[in-house]
Amino acid sequence: MMTDTTQSRGRVEIDDVVIRFKGKQGTVTALERTSHVLEPGTFTSLIGPSGCGKSTLMNAIAGFVTPAEGALRLDGKPITGPSPEVGVIFQQYALFPWFTALNNVRFGLKQFGLSKREEIDRARAALDEVGLAAHADKYPQQLSGGMKQRVAIARTFAVEPKVLLMDEPFGALDAQTRLVMHDLLLGIWRKHKATVLFVTHDVDEALLLSDHVQVMSQAPGRLIRHYHLTQERPRALSRSGNELLEIRDEILGLLHPKTMLADTL
Amino acid sequence: MAVTDLPRPPNATLPRVARVLSQGARTGATLGLPLISFAFVLGLWSLVGLSGVVKEAIFPAPWSVWSATVEMWRNGTLQTDLAKSLGRAAVGFGIGATLGVMMGLLTGRVAVVRTLLNPFLNLLRPIPAIALVPVAIVWFGIGEGSKYFVVSYTVFLTVWFNTHHGMQYVPETYLRAARTLGASKLREFATVVLPAAAPHIFAGIRLGVALAFLSLVAAELSGASSGIGFRLQEARQYVRTDRMFSLLIILGILGALADLVVHWIGKKLVHWEQG
Repeated sequence: MMTDTTQSRGRVEIDDVVIRFKGKQGTVTALERTSHVLEPGTFTSLIGPSGCGKSTLMNAIAGFVTPAEGALRLDGKPITGPSPEVGVIFQQYALFPWFTALNNVRFGLKQFGLSKREEIDRARAALDEVGLAAHADKYPQQLSGGMKQRVAIARTFAVEPKVLLMDEPFGALDAQTRLVMHDLLLGIWRKHKATVLFVTHDVDEALLLSDHVQVMSQAPGRLIRHYHLTQERPRALSRSGNELLEIRDEILGLLHPKTMLADTL
Repeated sequence: MAVTDLPRPPNATLPRVARVLSQGARTGATLGLPLISFAFVLGLWSLVGLSGVVKEAIFPAPWSVWSATVEMWRNGTLQTDLAKSLGRAAVGFGIGATLGVMMGLLTGRVAVVRTLLNPFLNLLRPIPAIALVPVAIVWFGIGEGSKYFVVSYTVFLTVWFNTHHGMQYVPETYLRAARTLGASKLREFATVVLPAAAPHIFAGIRLGVALAFLSLVAAELSGASSGIGFRLQEARQYVRTDRMFSLLIILGILGALADLVVHWIGKKLVHWEQG
Protein backbone atom coordinates (compact mmCIF):
# COMPACT_ATOMS: atom_id res chain seq x y z
CA MET A 1 0.00 0.00 0.00
CA MET A 2 1.22 3.47 -0.82
CA THR A 3 1.91 5.72 2.10
CA ASP A 4 1.82 9.45 1.70
CA THR A 5 5.04 10.55 3.38
CA THR A 6 3.68 13.96 4.25
CA GLN A 7 0.96 12.24 6.24
CA SER A 8 2.94 9.63 8.15
CA ARG A 9 4.49 11.81 10.78
CA GLY A 10 1.99 11.78 13.58
CA ARG A 11 -1.08 13.73 12.54
CA VAL A 12 -3.83 13.14 15.07
CA GLU A 13 -7.42 13.80 14.03
CA ILE A 14 -10.07 14.09 16.70
CA ASP A 15 -13.25 13.95 14.68
CA ASP A 16 -16.58 14.65 16.43
CA VAL A 17 -15.50 12.55 19.40
CA VAL A 18 -17.83 12.06 22.36
CA ILE A 19 -16.76 9.95 25.36
CA ARG A 20 -19.20 8.57 27.90
CA PHE A 21 -18.76 6.36 30.92
CA LYS A 22 -21.32 4.09 32.53
CA GLY A 23 -21.42 4.95 36.21
CA LYS A 24 -23.64 3.99 39.12
CA GLN A 25 -25.92 6.93 38.43
CA GLY A 26 -26.25 6.09 34.74
CA THR A 27 -24.19 7.32 31.83
CA VAL A 28 -21.88 10.27 32.36
CA THR A 29 -20.48 12.35 29.53
CA ALA A 30 -16.75 12.78 30.14
CA LEU A 31 -16.00 14.62 26.91
CA GLU A 32 -18.49 16.67 24.89
CA ARG A 33 -18.40 16.58 21.10
CA THR A 34 -14.85 17.61 20.21
CA SER A 35 -13.06 18.07 16.93
CA HIS A 36 -9.44 19.03 16.64
CA VAL A 37 -6.28 18.22 14.73
CA LEU A 38 -2.81 17.87 16.20
CA GLU A 39 -0.42 18.75 13.39
CA PRO A 40 2.72 16.63 12.97
CA GLY A 41 5.58 17.65 15.21
CA THR A 42 3.65 20.22 17.22
CA PHE A 43 3.61 20.52 20.98
CA THR A 44 0.10 21.03 22.37
CA SER A 45 -0.81 21.47 26.00
CA LEU A 46 -4.25 20.56 27.26
CA ILE A 47 -5.19 22.47 30.35
CA GLY A 48 -8.37 22.49 32.38
CA PRO A 49 -9.87 22.11 35.83
CA SER A 50 -9.49 18.70 37.43
CA GLY A 51 -12.05 16.16 36.31
CA CYS A 52 -12.77 18.05 33.09
CA GLY A 53 -11.92 15.11 30.85
CA LYS A 54 -8.48 16.07 29.65
CA SER A 55 -7.02 12.74 30.73
CA THR A 56 -10.02 11.03 29.16
CA LEU A 57 -9.27 12.58 25.79
CA MET A 58 -5.65 11.57 26.16
CA ASN A 59 -6.61 8.02 27.08
CA ALA A 60 -8.78 7.84 23.98
CA ILE A 61 -5.90 8.89 21.72
CA ALA A 62 -3.73 6.31 23.48
CA GLY A 63 -6.33 3.68 22.62
CA PHE A 64 -7.17 2.86 26.25
CA VAL A 65 -10.72 4.25 25.96
CA THR A 66 -13.11 3.88 23.04
CA PRO A 67 -15.18 6.94 22.13
CA ALA A 68 -18.96 6.58 22.18
CA GLU A 69 -19.23 8.63 19.01
CA GLY A 70 -16.90 10.03 16.39
CA ALA A 71 -13.49 8.82 15.31
CA LEU A 72 -9.85 9.18 16.21
CA ARG A 73 -7.27 8.80 13.49
CA LEU A 74 -3.50 8.72 13.38
CA ASP A 75 -2.19 9.62 9.94
CA GLY A 76 -5.55 8.70 8.47
CA LYS A 77 -5.78 5.27 10.15
CA PRO A 78 -8.39 4.76 12.88
CA ILE A 79 -6.99 4.31 16.38
CA THR A 80 -8.35 0.97 17.61
CA GLY A 81 -6.16 0.29 20.65
CA PRO A 82 -2.78 0.95 22.22
CA SER A 83 0.13 0.84 19.79
CA PRO A 84 3.84 1.68 19.90
CA GLU A 85 3.16 4.51 17.43
CA VAL A 86 1.54 6.40 20.30
CA GLY A 87 3.83 6.63 23.32
CA VAL A 88 2.51 7.49 26.75
CA ILE A 89 4.28 9.02 29.75
CA PHE A 90 2.29 8.45 32.92
CA GLN A 91 2.26 10.68 35.99
CA GLN A 92 3.20 7.74 38.20
CA TYR A 93 6.02 6.75 35.81
CA ALA A 94 4.72 3.16 35.32
CA LEU A 95 8.25 1.79 35.34
CA PHE A 96 8.45 -1.94 35.99
CA PRO A 97 10.04 -2.30 39.43
CA TRP A 98 11.40 -5.77 38.62
CA PHE A 99 13.55 -4.40 35.80
CA THR A 100 16.60 -2.17 36.02
CA ALA A 101 16.48 1.21 34.27
CA LEU A 102 18.26 -0.36 31.30
CA ASN A 103 15.88 -3.31 31.08
CA ASN A 104 12.88 -1.01 31.35
CA VAL A 105 14.13 0.73 28.21
CA ARG A 106 14.92 -2.62 26.56
CA PHE A 107 11.33 -3.74 27.19
CA GLY A 108 10.06 -1.41 24.47
CA LEU A 109 12.86 -2.33 22.07
CA LYS A 110 12.06 -6.07 22.13
CA GLN A 111 9.42 -5.64 19.43
CA PHE A 112 12.08 -4.74 16.85
CA GLY A 113 13.85 -8.09 17.10
CA LEU A 114 17.30 -6.53 17.36
CA SER A 115 20.40 -8.46 18.33
CA LYS A 116 21.05 -8.37 22.07
CA ARG A 117 24.11 -6.19 21.53
CA GLU A 118 22.19 -3.68 19.44
CA GLU A 119 19.25 -3.66 21.85
CA ILE A 120 21.52 -2.87 24.80
CA ASP A 121 23.40 -0.21 22.83
CA ARG A 122 20.17 1.54 21.86
CA ALA A 123 18.83 1.37 25.40
CA ARG A 124 22.07 2.81 26.74
CA ALA A 125 21.98 5.58 24.17
CA ALA A 126 18.42 6.44 25.21
CA LEU A 127 19.42 6.59 28.87
CA ASP A 128 22.44 8.68 27.94
CA GLU A 129 20.12 11.12 26.21
CA VAL A 130 18.29 11.76 29.49
CA GLY A 131 21.55 11.90 31.44
CA LEU A 132 21.12 8.59 33.24
CA ALA A 133 23.83 6.47 31.62
CA ALA A 134 25.50 6.07 35.02
CA HIS A 135 22.31 4.70 36.59
CA ALA A 136 21.46 2.09 33.96
CA ASP A 137 21.73 -0.84 36.35
CA LYS A 138 19.68 0.66 39.15
CA TYR A 139 16.15 -0.41 39.93
CA PRO A 140 13.37 2.22 39.82
CA GLN A 141 12.97 2.19 43.59
CA GLN A 142 16.60 3.29 43.89
CA LEU A 143 15.93 6.39 41.77
CA SER A 144 14.37 9.75 42.66
CA GLY A 145 11.05 10.86 41.15
CA GLY A 146 12.76 13.00 38.54
CA MET A 147 15.12 10.21 37.59
CA LYS A 148 12.25 7.74 37.29
CA GLN A 149 10.45 10.07 34.91
CA ARG A 150 13.66 10.40 32.87
CA VAL A 151 13.83 6.63 32.53
CA ALA A 152 10.18 6.65 31.43
CA ILE A 153 10.95 9.33 28.84
CA ALA A 154 13.96 7.36 27.59
CA ARG A 155 11.87 4.18 27.44
CA THR A 156 9.15 5.87 25.40
CA PHE A 157 11.38 7.84 23.00
CA ALA A 158 13.58 4.79 22.36
CA VAL A 159 10.61 3.22 20.55
CA GLU A 160 10.39 6.33 18.30
CA PRO A 161 6.64 6.91 18.63
CA LYS A 162 5.00 9.33 16.18
CA VAL A 163 2.84 10.74 18.94
CA LEU A 164 3.75 11.27 22.56
CA LEU A 165 1.03 11.67 25.16
CA MET A 166 2.02 12.96 28.57
CA ASP A 167 -0.45 12.91 31.45
CA GLU A 168 0.71 15.46 34.03
CA PRO A 169 4.15 13.90 33.79
CA PHE A 170 5.86 16.32 36.14
CA GLY A 171 2.95 16.77 38.55
CA ALA A 172 4.65 14.80 41.31
CA LEU A 173 8.01 16.58 41.05
CA ASP A 174 9.31 19.60 42.94
CA ALA A 175 9.55 22.97 41.18
CA GLN A 176 13.31 22.84 40.63
CA THR A 177 13.25 19.35 39.14
CA ARG A 178 10.35 20.39 36.92
CA LEU A 179 12.38 23.16 35.30
CA VAL A 180 15.19 20.73 34.56
CA MET A 181 12.69 18.26 33.12
CA HIS A 182 11.19 20.97 30.86
CA ASP A 183 14.59 21.63 29.28
CA LEU A 184 15.25 17.95 28.92
CA LEU A 185 11.87 17.27 27.34
CA LEU A 186 12.14 20.16 24.85
CA GLY A 187 15.63 19.03 23.85
CA ILE A 188 14.56 15.45 23.18
CA TRP A 189 11.34 16.51 21.48
CA ARG A 190 13.24 18.76 19.09
CA LYS A 191 15.47 15.85 18.18
CA HIS A 192 12.77 13.21 17.74
CA LYS A 193 10.05 15.50 16.31
CA ALA A 194 7.10 13.59 17.74
CA THR A 195 3.66 15.18 17.99
CA VAL A 196 3.21 15.93 21.68
CA LEU A 197 -0.01 16.23 23.64
CA PHE A 198 0.80 17.37 27.15
CA VAL A 199 -1.92 17.28 29.82
CA THR A 200 -1.30 19.59 32.74
CA HIS A 201 -3.08 21.74 35.28
CA ASP A 202 -0.13 24.10 35.55
CA VAL A 203 -0.65 27.18 33.35
CA ASP A 204 2.98 28.27 33.50
CA GLU A 205 4.19 24.88 32.41
CA ALA A 206 1.83 24.96 29.41
CA LEU A 207 3.02 28.45 28.41
CA LEU A 208 6.70 27.61 28.71
CA LEU A 209 6.56 24.44 26.64
CA SER A 210 3.86 24.58 24.00
CA ASP A 211 3.19 25.68 20.45
CA HIS A 212 -0.51 25.42 21.19
CA VAL A 213 -2.46 25.67 24.40
CA GLN A 214 -5.97 24.26 24.48
CA VAL A 215 -8.11 25.23 27.43
CA MET A 216 -10.91 22.91 28.49
CA SER A 217 -14.12 23.76 30.33
CA GLN A 218 -15.44 22.27 33.54
CA ALA A 219 -16.88 18.76 33.19
CA PRO A 220 -18.27 17.63 30.85
CA GLY A 221 -15.18 18.87 29.06
CA ARG A 222 -14.89 20.59 25.73
CA LEU A 223 -12.21 22.79 24.18
CA ILE A 224 -13.11 26.41 24.90
CA ARG A 225 -10.06 28.47 23.97
CA HIS A 226 -6.98 28.02 21.81
CA TYR A 227 -3.73 29.97 21.94
CA HIS A 228 -0.97 29.68 19.37
CA LEU A 229 2.37 30.56 20.94
CA THR A 230 5.27 31.52 18.71
CA GLN A 231 7.70 32.84 21.29
CA GLU A 232 11.28 31.67 21.03
CA ARG A 233 12.31 28.83 23.38
CA PRO A 234 13.64 28.54 26.01
CA ARG A 235 10.97 30.76 27.41
CA ALA A 236 10.62 32.41 30.78
CA LEU A 237 7.55 34.29 31.88
CA SER A 238 9.81 37.11 33.08
CA ARG A 239 11.49 37.75 29.74
CA SER A 240 9.30 36.38 26.97
CA GLY A 241 7.24 39.52 26.68
CA ASN A 242 3.97 40.72 28.12
CA GLU A 243 1.93 38.61 25.76
CA LEU A 244 2.56 35.41 27.72
CA LEU A 245 1.61 37.14 30.96
CA GLU A 246 -1.62 38.39 29.42
CA ILE A 247 -2.46 34.93 28.12
CA ARG A 248 -1.66 33.56 31.55
CA ASP A 249 -4.18 35.93 33.16
CA GLU A 250 -6.81 35.00 30.62
CA ILE A 251 -6.34 31.28 31.14
CA LEU A 252 -6.42 31.64 34.91
CA GLY A 253 -9.65 33.59 34.48
CA LEU A 254 -11.10 30.80 32.37
CA LEU A 255 -10.05 28.13 34.84
CA HIS A 256 -11.29 29.96 37.93
CA PRO A 257 -14.14 32.13 36.69
CA LYS A 258 -15.41 32.85 40.18
CA THR A 259 -12.24 34.17 41.80
CA MET A 260 -11.31 37.82 41.45
CA LEU A 261 -7.98 37.75 39.70
CA ALA A 262 -7.16 41.27 40.80
CA ASP A 263 -6.99 39.97 44.34
CA THR A 264 -4.82 36.99 43.66
CA LEU A 265 -2.26 38.64 41.37
CA MET B 1 23.81 -7.50 61.71
CA ALA B 2 26.02 -4.93 63.33
CA VAL B 3 23.59 -3.59 65.85
CA THR B 4 26.18 -1.50 67.62
CA ASP B 5 27.03 0.40 64.42
CA LEU B 6 23.61 2.03 64.28
CA PRO B 7 23.45 5.52 65.72
CA ARG B 8 21.01 5.43 68.57
CA PRO B 9 19.68 8.24 70.74
CA PRO B 10 20.68 7.78 74.36
CA ASN B 11 17.63 6.64 76.26
CA ALA B 12 18.99 5.81 79.68
CA THR B 13 15.59 6.41 81.24
CA LEU B 14 14.24 3.19 79.71
CA PRO B 15 14.76 0.05 81.73
CA ARG B 16 17.40 -2.23 80.29
CA VAL B 17 14.99 -4.97 79.14
CA ALA B 18 12.81 -2.49 77.28
CA ARG B 19 15.91 -1.08 75.61
CA VAL B 20 17.03 -4.52 74.52
CA LEU B 21 13.56 -5.28 73.19
CA SER B 22 13.26 -2.07 71.23
CA GLN B 23 16.73 -2.51 69.76
CA GLY B 24 15.81 -6.00 68.68
CA ALA B 25 12.60 -4.78 67.08
CA ARG B 26 14.54 -2.13 65.23
CA THR B 27 17.05 -4.53 63.74
CA GLY B 28 14.32 -6.98 62.73
CA ALA B 29 14.59 -10.73 63.07
CA THR B 30 17.89 -11.02 64.87
CA LEU B 31 18.71 -14.44 66.20
CA GLY B 32 19.06 -13.30 69.80
CA LEU B 33 15.49 -12.34 70.52
CA PRO B 34 13.79 -15.66 69.68
CA LEU B 35 16.46 -17.38 71.80
CA ILE B 36 15.48 -15.25 74.79
CA SER B 37 11.88 -16.33 74.31
CA PHE B 38 12.79 -20.02 74.01
CA ALA B 39 15.03 -19.84 77.08
CA PHE B 40 12.23 -18.19 79.03
CA VAL B 41 9.65 -20.86 78.15
CA LEU B 42 12.17 -23.67 78.73
CA GLY B 43 12.94 -22.17 82.16
CA LEU B 44 9.26 -22.08 83.12
CA TRP B 45 8.77 -25.60 81.84
CA SER B 46 11.75 -26.85 83.91
CA LEU B 47 10.36 -25.19 87.00
CA VAL B 48 7.03 -26.96 86.52
CA GLY B 49 8.93 -30.23 86.08
CA LEU B 50 11.06 -29.68 89.19
CA SER B 51 8.10 -28.66 91.34
CA GLY B 52 6.43 -32.03 90.76
CA VAL B 53 2.96 -30.43 90.70
CA VAL B 54 1.97 -32.23 87.49
CA LYS B 55 2.49 -35.95 86.92
CA GLU B 56 5.32 -36.84 84.51
CA ALA B 57 2.97 -39.07 82.50
CA ILE B 58 0.68 -36.10 81.86
CA PHE B 59 3.18 -33.30 81.40
CA PRO B 60 6.76 -34.55 81.05
CA ALA B 61 9.75 -32.41 82.03
CA PRO B 62 12.19 -31.12 79.39
CA TRP B 63 14.86 -33.69 80.26
CA SER B 64 12.37 -36.57 79.85
CA VAL B 65 11.43 -35.24 76.43
CA TRP B 66 15.09 -34.99 75.54
CA SER B 67 15.82 -38.59 76.52
CA ALA B 68 12.74 -39.75 74.59
CA THR B 69 14.16 -37.97 71.55
CA VAL B 70 17.55 -39.64 71.99
CA GLU B 71 15.80 -42.99 72.42
CA MET B 72 13.84 -42.59 69.17
CA TRP B 73 16.99 -41.51 67.40
CA ARG B 74 19.02 -44.49 68.71
CA ASN B 75 16.45 -47.05 67.60
CA GLY B 76 16.20 -45.36 64.21
CA THR B 77 12.47 -44.66 64.12
CA LEU B 78 12.96 -40.89 64.26
CA GLN B 79 15.08 -40.81 61.10
CA THR B 80 12.71 -43.10 59.22
CA ASP B 81 9.64 -41.16 60.31
CA LEU B 82 11.21 -37.82 59.43
CA ALA B 83 12.26 -39.07 55.99
CA LYS B 84 8.80 -40.47 55.34
CA SER B 85 6.93 -37.37 56.51
CA LEU B 86 9.21 -34.87 54.79
CA GLY B 87 9.04 -36.87 51.58
CA ARG B 88 5.24 -36.89 51.68
CA ALA B 89 5.07 -33.19 52.50
CA ALA B 90 7.49 -32.36 49.69
CA VAL B 91 5.71 -34.45 47.05
CA GLY B 92 2.27 -33.24 48.10
CA PHE B 93 3.43 -29.66 48.26
CA GLY B 94 5.14 -29.90 44.89
CA ILE B 95 2.04 -31.23 43.16
CA GLY B 96 -0.35 -28.87 44.95
CA ALA B 97 1.71 -25.71 44.49
CA THR B 98 2.39 -26.40 40.81
CA LEU B 99 -1.26 -27.05 40.03
CA GLY B 100 -2.32 -24.13 42.25
CA VAL B 101 -0.13 -21.62 40.44
CA MET B 102 -1.22 -22.92 37.06
CA MET B 103 -4.90 -22.82 37.97
CA GLY B 104 -4.53 -19.35 39.50
CA LEU B 105 -2.94 -18.04 36.31
CA LEU B 106 -5.81 -19.55 34.32
CA THR B 107 -8.66 -18.27 36.48
CA GLY B 108 -6.90 -14.93 36.79
CA ARG B 109 -6.59 -14.43 33.05
CA VAL B 110 -9.24 -16.50 31.28
CA ALA B 111 -12.80 -15.38 31.90
CA VAL B 112 -14.37 -18.68 30.83
CA VAL B 113 -12.28 -20.72 33.27
CA ARG B 114 -13.00 -18.17 35.99
CA THR B 115 -16.75 -18.37 35.45
CA LEU B 116 -16.73 -22.16 35.33
CA LEU B 117 -14.50 -22.88 38.31
CA ASN B 118 -14.18 -19.97 40.77
CA PRO B 119 -17.48 -20.40 42.63
CA PHE B 120 -16.83 -24.14 42.95
CA LEU B 121 -13.23 -23.72 44.16
CA ASN B 122 -14.35 -21.12 46.69
CA LEU B 123 -16.88 -23.61 48.01
CA LEU B 124 -14.11 -26.17 48.54
CA ARG B 125 -11.84 -23.82 50.48
CA PRO B 126 -13.62 -23.96 53.86
CA ILE B 127 -13.54 -27.78 53.98
CA PRO B 128 -10.81 -28.71 56.51
CA ALA B 129 -8.08 -31.08 55.36
CA ILE B 130 -8.80 -33.57 58.12
CA ALA B 131 -12.35 -34.07 56.80
CA LEU B 132 -10.87 -35.31 53.55
CA VAL B 133 -8.85 -38.10 55.11
CA PRO B 134 -11.67 -40.73 55.11
CA VAL B 135 -12.39 -40.03 51.44
CA ALA B 136 -8.68 -40.13 50.60
CA ILE B 137 -8.32 -43.51 52.30
CA VAL B 138 -11.27 -44.94 50.36
CA TRP B 139 -9.85 -43.62 47.10
CA PHE B 140 -6.14 -44.24 47.58
CA GLY B 141 -5.80 -46.70 50.47
CA ILE B 142 -3.60 -46.17 53.50
CA GLY B 143 -0.38 -45.99 51.43
CA GLU B 144 1.40 -42.93 50.12
CA GLY B 145 -1.35 -42.01 47.66
CA SER B 146 -3.83 -40.80 50.27
CA LYS B 147 -1.14 -38.63 51.97
CA TYR B 148 -0.10 -37.05 48.69
CA PHE B 149 -3.72 -36.41 47.87
CA VAL B 150 -4.63 -34.70 51.15
CA VAL B 151 -1.49 -32.53 51.20
CA SER B 152 -1.57 -31.52 47.54
CA TYR B 153 -5.28 -30.78 47.67
CA THR B 154 -4.86 -28.46 50.66
CA VAL B 155 -1.81 -26.72 49.21
CA PHE B 156 -3.48 -26.42 45.83
CA LEU B 157 -6.48 -24.46 47.14
CA THR B 158 -4.40 -21.94 49.09
CA VAL B 159 -1.87 -21.39 46.33
CA TRP B 160 -4.64 -21.12 43.73
CA PHE B 161 -6.54 -18.55 45.81
CA ASN B 162 -3.53 -16.29 46.34
CA THR B 163 -2.31 -16.59 42.78
CA HIS B 164 -5.76 -15.79 41.46
CA HIS B 165 -6.00 -12.67 43.60
CA GLY B 166 -2.48 -11.61 42.72
CA MET B 167 -3.52 -11.68 39.08
CA GLN B 168 -6.48 -9.40 39.85
CA TYR B 169 -4.23 -6.76 41.43
CA VAL B 170 -1.88 -6.22 38.49
CA PRO B 171 -1.91 -2.41 38.21
CA GLU B 172 -3.67 -1.17 35.11
CA THR B 173 -0.88 1.32 34.31
CA TYR B 174 1.63 -1.54 33.97
CA LEU B 175 -0.60 -3.17 31.36
CA ARG B 176 -1.16 0.12 29.58
CA ALA B 177 2.55 0.89 29.55
CA ALA B 178 3.31 -2.60 28.22
CA ARG B 179 0.78 -2.22 25.41
CA THR B 180 2.01 1.20 24.29
CA LEU B 181 5.52 -0.25 24.26
CA GLY B 182 4.47 -2.83 21.69
CA ALA B 183 4.52 -5.92 23.93
CA SER B 184 2.90 -9.06 22.56
CA LYS B 185 0.30 -10.81 24.75
CA LEU B 186 2.81 -13.50 25.63
CA ARG B 187 5.55 -11.06 26.61
CA GLU B 188 3.08 -8.95 28.55
CA PHE B 189 2.11 -12.07 30.48
CA ALA B 190 5.61 -13.35 31.12
CA THR B 191 7.39 -10.09 31.92
CA VAL B 192 4.63 -7.86 33.31
CA VAL B 193 1.67 -9.84 34.67
CA LEU B 194 3.71 -12.62 36.28
CA PRO B 195 6.21 -10.41 38.11
CA ALA B 196 3.44 -8.05 39.19
CA ALA B 197 1.54 -10.98 40.69
CA ALA B 198 4.67 -12.68 42.09
CA PRO B 199 4.47 -11.20 45.61
CA HIS B 200 0.95 -12.61 46.01
CA ILE B 201 1.94 -15.95 44.52
CA PHE B 202 4.79 -16.21 47.01
CA ALA B 203 2.51 -15.31 49.89
CA GLY B 204 0.32 -18.21 48.80
CA ILE B 205 3.28 -20.57 48.53
CA ARG B 206 4.41 -19.63 52.02
CA LEU B 207 0.95 -20.38 53.39
CA GLY B 208 0.99 -23.58 51.37
CA VAL B 209 4.15 -24.77 53.13
CA ALA B 210 2.53 -24.28 56.53
CA LEU B 211 -0.62 -26.07 55.39
CA ALA B 212 1.41 -28.94 53.92
CA PHE B 213 2.62 -29.81 57.43
CA LEU B 214 -0.82 -29.38 58.96
CA SER B 215 -2.60 -31.57 56.46
CA LEU B 216 0.20 -34.14 56.39
CA VAL B 217 -0.06 -34.80 60.10
CA ALA B 218 -3.84 -34.93 59.80
CA ALA B 219 -3.47 -37.59 57.12
CA GLU B 220 -0.88 -39.57 59.09
CA LEU B 221 -2.87 -39.59 62.32
CA SER B 222 -5.38 -42.01 60.87
CA GLY B 223 -4.47 -44.71 58.45
CA ALA B 224 -0.70 -44.68 58.27
CA SER B 225 2.08 -47.03 59.34
CA SER B 226 4.96 -44.58 59.41
CA GLY B 227 5.67 -40.87 59.70
CA ILE B 228 5.55 -38.30 62.49
CA GLY B 229 1.75 -38.34 62.65
CA PHE B 230 1.67 -42.13 62.92
CA ARG B 231 4.32 -42.07 65.66
CA LEU B 232 2.24 -39.54 67.60
CA GLN B 233 -0.76 -41.82 67.39
CA GLU B 234 1.36 -44.79 68.48
CA ALA B 235 2.72 -42.82 71.44
CA ARG B 236 -0.83 -42.18 72.56
CA GLN B 237 -1.54 -45.91 72.73
CA TYR B 238 1.46 -46.39 75.06
CA VAL B 239 0.78 -43.11 76.92
CA ARG B 240 4.26 -41.89 76.01
CA THR B 241 3.70 -38.16 76.46
CA ASP B 242 7.47 -37.63 76.45
CA ARG B 243 7.60 -38.95 72.88
CA MET B 244 4.55 -36.89 71.90
CA PHE B 245 6.17 -33.72 73.15
CA SER B 246 9.36 -34.56 71.34
CA LEU B 247 7.51 -35.14 68.06
CA LEU B 248 5.46 -31.97 68.46
CA ILE B 249 8.56 -29.87 69.04
CA ILE B 250 10.25 -31.44 66.03
CA LEU B 251 7.19 -30.62 63.93
CA GLY B 252 7.32 -27.01 65.12
CA ILE B 253 11.01 -26.67 64.33
CA LEU B 254 10.63 -28.25 60.90
CA GLY B 255 7.71 -26.00 60.02
CA ALA B 256 9.54 -22.88 61.15
CA LEU B 257 12.68 -23.85 59.21
CA ALA B 258 10.66 -24.56 56.07
CA ASP B 259 8.95 -21.20 56.42
CA LEU B 260 12.30 -19.42 56.82
CA VAL B 261 13.67 -21.07 53.69
CA VAL B 262 10.59 -20.22 51.59
CA HIS B 263 10.56 -16.67 52.91
CA TRP B 264 14.24 -16.27 52.06
CA ILE B 265 13.79 -17.64 48.53
CA GLY B 266 10.77 -15.37 48.03
CA LYS B 267 12.77 -12.34 49.13
CA LYS B 268 15.51 -13.17 46.64
CA LEU B 269 13.10 -13.74 43.77
CA VAL B 270 10.76 -10.82 44.48
CA HIS B 271 13.63 -8.52 45.43
CA TRP B 272 11.90 -5.32 44.26
CA GLU B 273 9.18 -5.56 46.92
CA GLN B 274 11.58 -4.60 49.72
CA GLY B 275 12.49 -1.00 50.44
